[in-house]
Amino acid sequence: MSTELLDAPATQLDIDRSRGDFVYPESHEFDAGTGLSHDTIDYIATVKNEPEWIREFRHKALDTFLAKPMPTHWASHDLENIVFQNIRYYLANAKRPTRSWEDVPDDVKKTFERLGIPEQERKFLAGVEAQFDSEAVYSNIKAAVADQGVIFTGSTEGLIKHPELFKKWFGKVIPTGDNKFSALNSAVFSGGSFIYIPPGVKVKHPLQAYFRINAENFGQFERTLIIADEGSEVMYMEGCTAPKFETATLHSAVVELVAMKGAKIQYVTVQNWSNNVFNLVTKRAIAHEEAEVKWIDCNIGSRLTMKYPGVVLKGRKARGEVISIALAGDGQHQDTGAKMIHAADETTSNIVSKSISLGSGRSTYRGLVHIPKHLKGCKNNTECDALLINPTSRTDTYPAITVRGTGNSSQHEASVSQISQEQIFYMMSRGLTEAQAMSLSVNGFVNDLVRQFPMEYSVELKRLIDMEMEGSVG
Amino acid sequence: MTVLDTTEHPANESVNTTGPDFANHPESFRATQQAAWEKFTSLPMPKRTDEAWRFADTRTLDISRFGRAEAVSDATQAMLVKLSIGLEHTSGQMTFANDRLLSRHFHGDSLNAKGVLWLPLEQAIAEHPELVAKYFMREEARIGSGKFAALHASQVRGGMFLYVPRGVEIALPVETYHWLSGENASLFPHTLIVAEENAKVTVLDYFANASECPGFVCGVNDISTAAGAKVTYVAVQEWNRNTLAFHMNNTTVARDASVLTLRLNLGGARVRDEAVSRLRGPGGRSDMLSVNAAEGAQIFDQRTLQIHEAPNATSDLLYKNALNDTSRTIFTGLIRVDKGAHKTDAYQKVRNLVLSDEAEANSAPGLEIEADDVRCTHGATSGALDEEQVFYFQSRGIPRRVAQQLVTFGFLSEVFERIPDAALAAHLCDLLHGKLG
Amino acid sequence: MFGQSREVQQTLKFMSLEIRNLHARIASNGTEILKGLDLIVEKGKVHAIMGPNGSGKSTLSKVIGGHPDYEITEGEILLDGTSVIGMEPDVRSRAGLFLAMQYPMEIPGVSNANFIRAALQARLPEGEELEATDYYANLYSKMDGLEMDRKFTARSVNEGFSGGEKKRNEILQMLMLAPKYCILDETDSGLDIDALRIVAGGVNSYRSPKVGMLVITHYQRLLDYIVPDIVHVLVNGRIVRHGGKELALELEERGYDFIREETAA
Repeated sequence: MSTELLDAPATQLDIDRSRGDFVYPESHEFDAGTGLSHDTIDYIATVKNEPEWIREFRHKALDTFLAKPMPTHWASHDLENIVFQNIRYYLANAKRPTRSWEDVPDDVKKTFERLGIPEQERKFLAGVEAQFDSEAVYSNIKAAVADQGVIFTGSTEGLIKHPELFKKWFGKVIPTGDNKFSALNSAVFSGGSFIYIPPGVKVKHPLQAYFRINAENFGQFERTLIIADEGSEVMYMEGCTAPKFETATLHSAVVELVAMKGAKIQYVTVQNWSNNVFNLVTKRAIAHEEAEVKWIDCNIGSRLTMKYPGVVLKGRKARGEVISIALAGDGQHQDTGAKMIHAADETTSNIVSKSISLGSGRSTYRGLVHIPKHLKGCKNNTECDALLINPTSRTDTYPAITVRGTGNSSQHEASVSQISQEQIFYMMSRGLTEAQAMSLSVNGFVNDLVRQFPMEYSVELKRLIDMEMEGSVG
Repeated sequence: MTVLDTTEHPANESVNTTGPDFANHPESFRATQQAAWEKFTSLPMPKRTDEAWRFADTRTLDISRFGRAEAVSDATQAMLVKLSIGLEHTSGQMTFANDRLLSRHFHGDSLNAKGVLWLPLEQAIAEHPELVAKYFMREEARIGSGKFAALHASQVRGGMFLYVPRGVEIALPVETYHWLSGENASLFPHTLIVAEENAKVTVLDYFANASECPGFVCGVNDISTAAGAKVTYVAVQEWNRNTLAFHMNNTTVARDASVLTLRLNLGGARVRDEAVSRLRGPGGRSDMLSVNAAEGAQIFDQRTLQIHEAPNATSDLLYKNALNDTSRTIFTGLIRVDKGAHKTDAYQKVRNLVLSDEAEANSAPGLEIEADDVRCTHGATSGALDEEQVFYFQSRGIPRRVAQQLVTFGFLSEVFERIPDAALAAHLCDLLHGKLG
Repeated sequence: MFGQSREVQQTLKFMSLEIRNLHARIASNGTEILKGLDLIVEKGKVHAIMGPNGSGKSTLSKVIGGHPDYEITEGEILLDGTSVIGMEPDVRSRAGLFLAMQYPMEIPGVSNANFIRAALQARLPEGEELEATDYYANLYSKMDGLEMDRKFTARSVNEGFSGGEKKRNEILQMLMLAPKYCILDETDSGLDIDALRIVAGGVNSYRSPKVGMLVITHYQRLLDYIVPDIVHVLVNGRIVRHGGKELALELEERGYDFIREETAA
């Protein structure tokens, strides 16, 4: 196995994504081949040595996927450029992730070291999982956290070792047929995290997952299920990168969260896929009585991201929140948003979305707020702000709000603006370059949201924004 | 507004299959109608999955039971003319029943001014075919009702054509009454306002039935302006509770022109209102206002589009809905700023006051922005009566029910403050008051 | 209390606003604010309630007015001997209670003149219409007394009014509705000295043997203009001290702490 690092040619280097833009030669022990059929499903289920019910679940999901049309009556027609038969659906080496960083294969290790994983784990994480293509190569949880009964494993291990917990919620928050891509994920999922936090346990430090695509023409379909039992608290963070290939790559995850009574889940994503990745992700949570679920979502990379994290507010006084930052650079489309389904009295939801469009980038907000009848004391607040940097930049806002009955209220506000030339002039007159001034301005625009990210991520975010801005001026 | 019409006769063949209504139109116009009819029959019925029909129940759009309306009896005509009472002071008034002209009155000379054309549409088509053709339904129906716009074009005969030449200002409003009479009868009212450079005019349309019979309305009101023109258009909709109505609008705003439209929806079983404003020149301004008092099982389905094609133009939309009983409102609006339309100032706001547990307000205000130097904002709020306000009323001895009426009236009538003509604003307040009681 | 015999109290009951052992809490979270408050406001008298922030002054006025945010758990509020507990706020108002609020609501789209007219109309028997000319004559004369511009009749209730204009508008409503008992909640807050003089003048003009007043204030300043007959001190949801108008001056000088200390001891 070669361990030589093959950096992508400098001409292809996008300054903003340099950190993730390198590739190792692949040599996979398991490869489901190109294209998707029921044979692909059987291959995956066999390699993963899964129980029969999962195999059936996958086959059914494939039928659903094939039957469902593309959602292009409302979504981007760019979806039509995905050629499902040209994608490889399962690529893996070792079947079980190692718990020791030393045992991780060298090339994979180097990949993740470049992304800074072991350092950060030592610093502040309660557990780390690192997924390379279809499977986790490394998974570790600090002993003190595991001793509290916290389970943090991959999805395969979760469904085999903890079937009662797993089966109870798997596919219940997001049914297979929710949309075409949730069906696809349900058919070919591999990797992702399974997390269970026992009642009353408050995990002090975040659990972290890294998702890395290393192979061309590959589809990554991780599946994450997090169950926070009564009164427990957890923060989960995920980072995503991929090198820049010539052809399109697909990432289509399904993430289900269950917050039992009084539980709190914070789910943080920093997505920095290279800009030929189709990132089509379904994320939804169920919040039971007095539970709180907060999605903190930052989308910087990808060619097209479609992601609308949702919370079903199922129990009285449950609270849902989506904090979202999107940065659509040249040629990118960040189609993001939020869904808040109020299903119990006195539930509250809050959506704050800020997007920045650069060059020919396009950012789209889609929101859905539903407050049905006979509920009392439900409240939603939504704020969407879009910043346009260049004359060719584009932004769209498409909220949909339904409110029934007299006991509820919703408020939606959105604005579109540009960077104030006066502000830029002022800063430049103090000696800043235009790019520096723009960066400061843009950072100011998202600053209140960036502060909601964990420290390490907010620093990283600012750095990423700075780099994006450098390329957009002049 | 509605009275018993003793001369009701059921409509005959369905408007779905009847073919174009050529009336006395000239050959050239008949060709337009024929093409429109073919378009109508070829286009599919709207489906709920169409984005332009989101939230709507498309199963109740079947119009096959409605047929073409017949001329009303002389007695009914006389009664309807008598009931067509609007503003105290107007420049003129036309009254139509079942798309046929009943009366036309000139008050003063402003509508006789040189070059002004104020004609029933049928006459305008016959006498000024080229002028009408230049403005008649030139814009594609973009927000869902293309099929119904085509139906309208194939059936149109009644309505008003107003051409105001360059520099002419018509001080007092011009009124048109549209009455619908007959069981399952259909109406295709048309209003076409053309204001040339620096012309100025205010137009009111009133819509009502002669009885409580079920009816179908498929109307168009279009406004075309040249540079610096000022048009105010108000539609007072008081259809009965058994009427399915479509009202489609296309407004074009030229350089430095300004158009204010206000739709007051009081009646109807189900009313679909589509309004499109195109900002075609710098300095143009479009105010789009709507006041909707929904009660019973009424459905007000409103779709709007503000298209900024030119830079430096302004559009400002304010729709207010008060919902009682089991009523539903739908608002789907879009501000679209084209490439190069810099310095656009666009605003869009929908506010819902939900007064009953069974009422439902749907809001989908949208933005599509392709120019970077713009100021665009939108907002949507839904909420119940403010209990602090109600307490304030009650603490002054005003019963809760009266407080609710007053707050609702205040909430809706606030929109009328945007109308510069005080007499007109007061008139609209009275009409709203009539419904809220 | 305050040296009244049982017989006097019995008589007073029918000529007073009486609050007896009143306990009230915030409906949404159950926090108890009033903890056994006793007070009798007789006709012809002006009572002042003073107290530190958070003592329950504004709560008291809202509870008397019937605000839905509060629940009475114990005690009585008697208006000329009749309990008002359970009455809707509008019924209390028509029974003769008036609440001048600390923060008067803004009601967009409803003109001031129509608002006051609706309130007067609600006091008339079914089928009887308020006489418009008399109404406006009365309204204008009261407005003149309060030095209010006529334009305030057409403006929406309190919308865009300055603090002083809002308070004047409250007193205008009081004068128009002619209540038997007036509760003035921090009517001095947000007023400059000229506005305070005008507002106080309006209140004083309404003093009469037929009217009982309860003036709630944090500062003594207002009581220079509306001179009270009796001053009560409210601390932690109960009246802890009574006195004449000199008590207000003492509070001004020494602050509320000495009373807190005395009552704690």
